[in-house]
Amino acid sequence: MFKILLEQILNGLVLGSMYALVASGLTLIWGTMKMLNFAHGELYMVGGYILYFAFTLLGVSPFWGILLAIGIAFAVGLFLERLLLHPLMDKPGWDVSPLVVTLGVSIFLQNFALKAWGERFKSVPYFIEGTMELAGFRIAYQRILILVVTATVMVAFWMFVKRSRFGVALRATAQDREAATLLGINAHRIYMYTFGISSALAALAATMLAPIFLINPWMGISPLLKAFIVVVLGGLGSFGGAILGGFLLGTLESLSVVLLSSEWKDVVSFAVLILVLFFRPSGFFGTREW
Amino acid sequence: MLEISNIDVFYGDAQALWNISLRVARGEIVSLLGGNGAGKSTTLRTISGILKPRRGEVSLSGVRLDRIPPHQIISHGLAHVPEGRRLFPNMTVMENLLAGTYLLSAWKGRMAAVEEMGKIFPVLKERRNQLAGTLSGGEQQMCAIARALVSRPRILLLDEPSLGLAPVIVERIFEVIQKINREGVTVLLVEQNAHIALQIAHRGYVIETGRVVLEGAADSLLDSKYVKQAYLGL
Repeated sequence: MFKILLEQILNGLVLGSMYALVASGLTLIWGTMKMLNFAHGELYMVGGYILYFAFTLLGVSPFWGILLAIGIAFAVGLFLERLLLHPLMDKPGWDVSPLVVTLGVSIFLQNFALKAWGERFKSVPYFIEGTMELAGFRIAYQRILILVVTATVMVAFWMFVKRSRFGVALRATAQDREAATLLGINAHRIYMYTFGISSALAALAATMLAPIFLINPWMGISPLLKAFIVVVLGGLGSFGGAILGGFLLGTLESLSVVLLSSEWKDVVSFAVLILVLFFRPSGFFGTREW
Repeated sequence: MLEISNIDVFYGDAQALWNISLRVARGEIVSLLGGNGAGKSTTLRTISGILKPRRGEVSLSGVRLDRIPPHQIISHGLAHVPEGRRLFPNMTVMENLLAGTYLLSAWKGRMAAVEEMGKIFPVLKERRNQLAGTLSGGEQQMCAIARALVSRPRILLLDEPSLGLAPVIVERIFEVIQKINREGVTVLLVEQNAHIALQIAHRGYVIETGRVVLEGAADSLLDSKYVKQAYLGL
């Protein structure tokens, strides 16, 4: 029993790392643009399909497939922001208009995927076959890879936001747009790239999980819902909160599978959401700006 | 150097500035005086492009500032310390200064620029890793000025640097403004505190309800009956 628990905790961390990736994209957009992106899950889905087509049509290695998915998702994000959100910004109704627009994009992309790529679920092979045995535990290499990649990307991303010229400008814009403008920062350019980066993070999560879950037009719905829980758990706009919340939710879900049964997984996540909203609505770290 | 001619500025339908003209020559300190809501900050915000005039022009060494987007204005050598400091509260002092070096030309020499600010404002060096939101009012003002200076501007706009600060701190800040000016930076200073503003300025303008009502050399303004009555409480 103890061994199963430990194994599930490890699985939970793997799942949680993906929640953290998806949620950090959401929280990044909230923190800078003060909007929720309901199309985030579909950008995740697009990432999964690009990986699939990179394998089947181009026959490239996983590394190039992932890079391609990230690149295209980044471009799609830039394009969506420039085309659909930019014209709404600074107009009355900004508190609702992005919700409507991104919900529309989400519905469009789901149905586009359904029409263009079919309803058959698609699978991609593991990037690395085999399992590692360590002290009696068996862990698939794929899962270890997921953990390593997420950890690396999160650390690199944090360094980028903290230290780079773009990162400083991004945080400045999030905290005081007018003051940032006076320093020469073009807020609209920052918003565009923020959207692109957020989409790229979602696509990365999708490609890493694609071998475990299947690729289909609706694959983005569940991660988006979970990411919302994570973001509320950690505090809207908080990066640390998204990471911690992601790992916490992943672990909780995995443990609930052992202790209850897999059908109870979502019940547990949403119960956690309700409890957090009830007792600590601002999340662990509180609502924050970047 | 900076020339504003006949600008009308509106907030929506409400007119805030009426036919305002003023000029600042290279090397000068010019004070813009006036009470609450007179249009001082509006004038500065129009110069730095946040607001666009409906009529008239703003030009800096021949460049029409009212025709370029606000984020490009600093690259022409004009930096603006906004009213209320407007620091980035969740960023450290160091990060605030780095944000000031966003211009590519300034980013390359950012460490030297930050170092230099540490000499002008030793307290900022002490507190470089502290969040800007936790600084005292005077420290915040110094940080805001330093953040504008690291872009190495030719002209600096200062919006009420004395606001809410203890007299000792105000004096210290005005000393620094004079020092910066002696080192070659032109200054346009907005103040309610007419006394101290005219002490360091070469020339001044007084505006009221969006119109220039008085202008002249700083000493003559200090001596004028109008300024004495309205702003110095004499």
